[in-house]
Amino acid sequence: MKFEDVAVLGVGMVRFGAHKDRSAAQLAREAGLRALADAGLSFRDVGEAFVGYIAPIQMLGIKVMKEFGLTGLPVTHVENASATGLIAFREAAHAVASGRCDVAMALGLDKMTELARGGRGGRGIGRDTIDSVILPAAYFALWAMRRMHERGTRPEHFAKIAAKNWNHGARNPLADRQSDHEVTAEEVLASYPVAEPLTAMMACPVDDGAACVIVGRRELARQLQPGRAVVRPVASALQTETYTPGHTFLGPVVGPASMTRDTAREAYEAAGVDPADVSLALVHDAFANEELEYYELLDFCPEGDAEKLVEDGATRIGGRIPFNTDGGLIARGHPGGPTGLAQVHEIVLQLRHEAGPRQVENARIGLAHLVGGGSVCTVNLFERD
Amino acid sequence: MGAARRVPIEAGFFTIPEARGEPPRLLGSRCRSCGEHFFPRRAICARCLSDDTEDTRLGPRGTLYTYTYVHVPMFGARRAESGGYGVGQVDLPEGPRVQAVLSGGPGDFRIGMPMELDLETLRENRDGEEVVIFRFRPLDAAST
Repeated sequence: MKFEDVAVLGVGMVRFGAHKDRSAAQLAREAGLRALADAGLSFRDVGEAFVGYIAPIQMLGIKVMKEFGLTGLPVTHVENASATGLIAFREAAHAVASGRCDVAMALGLDKMTELARGGRGGRGIGRDTIDSVILPAAYFALWAMRRMHERGTRPEHFAKIAAKNWNHGARNPLADRQSDHEVTAEEVLASYPVAEPLTAMMACPVDDGAACVIVGRRELARQLQPGRAVVRPVASALQTETYTPGHTFLGPVVGPASMTRDTAREAYEAAGVDPADVSLALVHDAFANEELEYYELLDFCPEGDAEKLVEDGATRIGGRIPFNTDGGLIARGHPGGPTGLAQVHEIVLQLRHEAGPRQVENARIGLAHLVGGGSVCTVNLFERD
Repeated sequence: MGAARRVPIEAGFFTIPEARGEPPRLLGSRCRSCGEHFFPRRAICARCLSDDTEDTRLGPRGTLYTYTYVHVPMFGARRAESGGYGVGQVDLPEGPRVQAVLSGGPGDFRIGMPMELDLETLRENRDGEEVVIFRFRPLDAAST
C-alpha cells in the first residue's frame, strides 16, 4: 500500500489508567475532540470513522460515534486483538488513500478494568476449553525461557528493559505508570513473580483509555496547520501466521516470532526505509522479554546481539535506537483498542519535535509495531516531511 | 464400587484409556499429500493446503522445548494445595510442538528432558464424572 497522499492531521488521547467514573464513550469523546482540535478540524469535516475496541459489546462503536454528532458518516468497527488500534489507523489511512474521503478518523476505546472483572472466571476464554488454563503471561514466559537457554540471556536483561520503560513513562504525562523515583532493574526483579522468569513489573497493567488519530489528504496538513512539520505514514504491513515446522496451534497467544520479522521486512521494503534510518520504535512490550526479541526481529541488530543493546543502553532515550519512548505497554499502558493509536500519537509528537522531556533528537522516521492474539502482526512506518 | 467415569474437558483432542495407568494419546492429523503431522486435528494441511488428511494418534512421548512455572493458582484446579502450575511446549517425534500444562513443581523441569503424556483430573461434573485434561510430566518422574 502506498500512502503518498496521506498525512496525519491530528492526534489526541486521554491518560491511560483506571477510569472508574467515566464511560468508554466519555473517554472516546475527549480523545476525539483533542485530535480534532490538534488537526484544526470540526467533526463535520470527518468523512469516515473506524472505531477499534476489544470489548465484546455489539454496536458500541456506532453508538459512541454519536457522541460527536449525527452527520450520517460511515462507521466501521475494527477488532484485531492487541493490534486493534493500529489496524483502525491502517483502515482510516486506506480510506483516504483510495479517495473515498478527504479526512478519516481512527478512534480506539476500551475499559479493560471492566473486562478483567467480568466474564467467565475473569480471564482466559472460559472454563470448558482445552487451552483456558494457559495465561498470556505463560506464553511469553515460554519464549523468555527458550531465549535464556539458547543465548544465555539473564532475567536482568528483561528487568533492565522494564525499568527503562517505567522511566520513560515517568516523562510522559499521559502514561498510566509514573514512578516518583528512578526505577531500577533490582526493583523489577524483586517484584512479584508472575511466570518464571517474568515478574509483575515486567508486565503491562490493566488499563482503561481512549486515543484518536485523524488522517487526511496530504495538502490539508499544510493548509490547516501552516508552519507545523507534516508527519506521513509511509508503510503499513499486516500479516497473520505463516506455517513453519514446529508450529504450535493450541494455546499460544501469538504466532511464531518470525511473524514480526516477515511483517517488518514487508514494511521496510514498501517504504524504501533502511532499519538503520529509523529514529525510534514503539513495540508490543506486554512483557519485557518481547522487546528484547524485537530488537533483532525488526533488524536493529544481528541475531544474538539484543542483549548487548540492553547492556549498552542503546534503546533508552538518548541511545542509538530508542524503544518505547512514551513508556510502552509496560508504563504508558495497554487498554486494548486505544494502544496502537497511542503509539501513533507518540510517533507524531516525536516527529513534529513536540515530545518535550522525552524528545528523540532529530527524529525523522518512527516505527509502530504490535502483535495481536489469533494471531496478527502489524508494522507501520512514519516519516517527517 | 468402580472408579468414576472420566470425560475430557473438551472432546476431540485426546484419548482416555480404559486402564488408569496407561498414558493418553493426542488426536492429530497427517497430510497424505506431504506427510506433515498436526495437533490438533485439521481438515486442510497447513503446509501444502491439501484436503487429503487423515486422523492419527500422536505421542505419548516427546522432548521439552521450553517451559515456565506460573505463580497463580490454575483455573479449575481441583487440588487445594496447587499454588501454581507448569506450562511447557513439547516436541513430538512426529513433528508437532504441543503446548500444555506440565505436572510437577517449580524446580522439576529442564529444557531437552523427555516427557510423557498423562491425564489430570480438574474437577467433578454434575453427573459425578471426572473432568480430565492432558498434561505432560517428566518421564523420569513416571518411572520412579
